Amino acid sequence: MDSIVISNLRQRPLRSAISVIGVALGVALVMLFTGLAHGMSDDLQKRSSNVSAEIIFTRPGSMQLTSSSANLNTKYVELLRQVEGVESATPVIRYFYPSGTWGVDQVEGVEWDSFSKMNNIRIIQGHPPNGPNEVVIDETKAKRNHPVGSTLKIFGEKLYTVAGIYAPESGARAKLTLASLQDSLEAPGKCTFIYVKVKNPADQIAVAKRIDQQFPGNKIQLTREVFATIENSIPGLSIFMRVLVLLAAIVSALVVMLAMHTTITERTREIGILKAMGASRTYIIGEIEREALLISFLGLLVGFALAGIAGFGIHKATGLIFEFGWKWALTAAAIGLLGGAIGAFYPAARAANLDPVAALAYE
Amino acid sequence: MATILKAEKLEKVYRVGKVDVPALRGVSLSVQEGEFVAVMGPSGCGKSTMLHLLGGLLTPTSGRIVIDGEDLTAASDAKRTDIRRRKIGFVFQRFNLFPTLTAEGNLRLAERIHGNGADDPDRRREILRMLRLEDKMHHKPLELSGGEQQRVALARAVVNRPAIVLADEPTGNLDTENSELVLKMFRELNDRFNQTIIMITHNPEAAAACQRVIQMRDGHIV
Repeated sequence: MDSIVISNLRQRPLRSAISVIGVALGVALVMLFTGLAHGMSDDLQKRSSNVSAEIIFTRPGSMQLTSSSANLNTKYVELLRQVEGVESATPVIRYFYPSGTWGVDQVEGVEWDSFSKMNNIRIIQGHPPNGPNEVVIDETKAKRNHPVGSTLKIFGEKLYTVAGIYAPESGARAKLTLASLQDSLEAPGKCTFIYVKVKNPADQIAVAKRIDQQFPGNKIQLTREVFATIENSIPGLSIFMRVLVLLAAIVSALVVMLAMHTTITERTREIGILKAMGASRTYIIGEIEREALLISFLGLLVGFALAGIAGFGIHKATGLIFEFGWKWALTAAAIGLLGGAIGAFYPAARAANLDPVAALAYE
Repeated sequence: MATILKAEKLEKVYRVGKVDVPALRGVSLSVQEGEFVAVMGPSGCGKSTMLHLLGGLLTPTSGRIVIDGEDLTAASDAKRTDIRRRKIGFVFQRFNLFPTLTAEGNLRLAERIHGNGADDPDRRREILRMLRLEDKMHHKPLELSGGEQQRVALARAVVNRPAIVLADEPTGNLDTENSELVLKMFRELNDRFNQTIIMITHNPEAAAACQRVIQMRDGHIV
């Protein structure tokens, strides 16, 4: 083994391993957070894209990212059906509830016949929700140990029986009857929003304007616009991810800087020898940077593996969805390598500028 | 014989706190190509300072050094490093091998630093044979005796055919038997390759092996 870089790493395996793990943690954090953000928003988007309605009619402020209210009178359903160009309208209550240890989940209350007809949703097992204690769920939720006939807790300890499984997935994974959810929320005659399907999708803007003119003070959104911007609509998500990336870069750089700083202090005499042998500043900086880049590269590999394993484990345990993309993998790789290179530069420059005689005399 | 090293009126003053401490006080010397020169003198007389100046590791306060036609004192730090890389080989009392590299790794490192296609297996083999190190090439320094380590250091110093080898008490850490062996190697290098060597030593027997002995005292050559 005549590579000074590799032999140095092998000579101090514990410190090398700690440095690699330090970089790996930064990379894994970036991958996991961005993977989770994309996975969840893409999942939401995918489910939302199965909605056939072109227009969502609601009250301003009634539907947020993780909360909603049932404050829209269902009398609008009939009124909307009479608007020129509207083919059908169906009311929906969307309700967010605490889900286990892992945050919130959502359930929808729907008029099954009109809702399923509008959105081409079919029951593939069991039957639609009929009574106040029946729920239907999509295939993804059913795979998490919720077969037909099993029970679900949505409101406190109250149990709902899984009456059927529907496909394709659309909106909330669990759906009750509208009446059942109105009753549970003590909101008779109310809903959160109304899906409106138009006769001719090309006319949706004109129909939306017509609805706005006839029922001013309400909120009319085009479905395609709402669903296209789900990720962007999460407040501060992109800023959060950028901050995270920056923090990961700083962590990687600091880990490598600390490792290389210690290494160089320990190897002061060796640097003196290199200088006595005629090694230039560039050569010395190059050797140290190569060592840092090798640490960072190993950190990248470990980080990617760590993110993959952790993502799989978390998904299995909680159902959270991770979607690892090339863009963020490349960003994480750049962070790891650049962080390492930048972190090593100061110690490297310091080493290159050591006085050779003092370095040779270093004990 | 051509002059390979010429030093004129070398002075070196160290600043210690607020006090100037003169280490060399106007040293001049000339070394011919192929000469084997010993430098002797009591501790603190300026031997190591002179060797470091001749090797470009230090810059003189005043004076001039020319090695193989290149003025070391007029050169920038980068140029001095370049001259050292091409023209000078160092051997130290404490061997100063890279502990994580094998003997061969230490030699190859010297070749890599030298660059310009310096990787010459024939030259390396010849030197190793002469220094009787062929079977030690894959050993790390801690697996070698002191004498073997110093021979590896010597091989490293000469593997790139430097114009001059500067040795700072190369037998200072060795027992008598190994000292004799290392000195024999120095002589062989000098004889077979016409290698110019300047060697600091406290050992009169080592000095006796050289063609010329320079005595120093209080920063002067006497």
